[in-house]
Amino acid sequence: MDYKYIEQLLERYWACETSLQEEQILRTFFQQQEVPAHLMPYKAIFDVQREQAEATLGEEFDAKIMELISEQGDALSNDGVVKALPFGGTGRGAAWRHSLRPLYQAAGLVALILTIGIAAQRSFDENVQPQQAQFAQTDSLERPADEFVAMPEPQEAALAVEKDSINLTR
Amino acid sequence: MLPLKDRLYRLALRITLNPAEAEDAVQDTLIRVWEHREEWEQIESIEAYAHTICRNIALDMAGKAGRGNVQLNEDSSMLNAQCSMFNEYEQKERLSLVRKIMDTLPEVQRSIMELRDIEGKTYQEIGNILKLTESQVKVYLHRARTSIRQQAEEIEKYGL
Repeated sequence: MDYKYIEQLLERYWACETSLQEEQILRTFFQQQEVPAHLMPYKAIFDVQREQAEATLGEEFDAKIMELISEQGDALSNDGVVKALPFGGTGRGAAWRHSLRPLYQAAGLVALILTIGIAAQRSFDENVQPQQAQFAQTDSLERPADEFVAMPEPQEAALAVEKDSINLTR
Repeated sequence: MLPLKDRLYRLALRITLNPAEAEDAVQDTLIRVWEHREEWEQIESIEAYAHTICRNIALDMAGKAGRGNVQLNEDSSMLNAQCSMFNEYEQKERLSLVRKIMDTLPEVQRSIMELRDIEGKTYQEIGNILKLTESQVKVYLHRARTSIRQQAEEIEKYGL
């Protein structure tokens, strides 16, 4: 088998010219048990790398961290340190947004109350308007009636004038 | 944040060379990152940020404990049962020697090898973590690989 490609890759690996993919090829190559004798000295290097990659922390560690963080969270919120943080020198952008949050909430609440208020006003007005319209209608009916009642007077007067004039002619 | 723990642990382990200290370093790192969660939005890469903090904490620990505090984990081995007894012994010895060689490299070289060869990070990412330029990272890595290569070849030439 020809190992020229691997030898080339290895030379470039020592010179730090290999890409991450090429380094992975080397690692995969040295993972096999049968490696030619002249490449054997380097196998241990990649084996140790693989061994080191297996070092991990267990779930107990996660539980410990979560406990520590929740404890800290309680302590911090009681001290008010977290609330004080946004006003510190660092993290200004986030701090701004954070410190304005009560204002947003207040603005939102006012907007909500206004909307409900206006909606309530509208529906109230709608209930009232038809009644007013009825009143208006009866008004308009009554007024001509008054005028109608008032009307005969001048006619009577005219009649009286006519009668008078008739009497005069007589 | 927790998915980072193993990567941070391996870096801390390369620096402190002590599993218990490395675990403490990761714990302190995660808590410190959590405490600064208000600033996460401004941080370009939380991963690089956490790695930098972890390295600093691990360096503090290694400094307090005194360097050269080499502790090796002999129980884990990648050997194949198919090897003959002699080869198995030889390969085990080789592994143990390479481990020792790696552990005696300067810390910067160890950390860079860890981030490159084990975590598969680009030179730029490593530079961000270690606050070095890409070419500085390459120079250190080159030194690390060259010295490991030379020593591996010497083991072969002069025997174990």
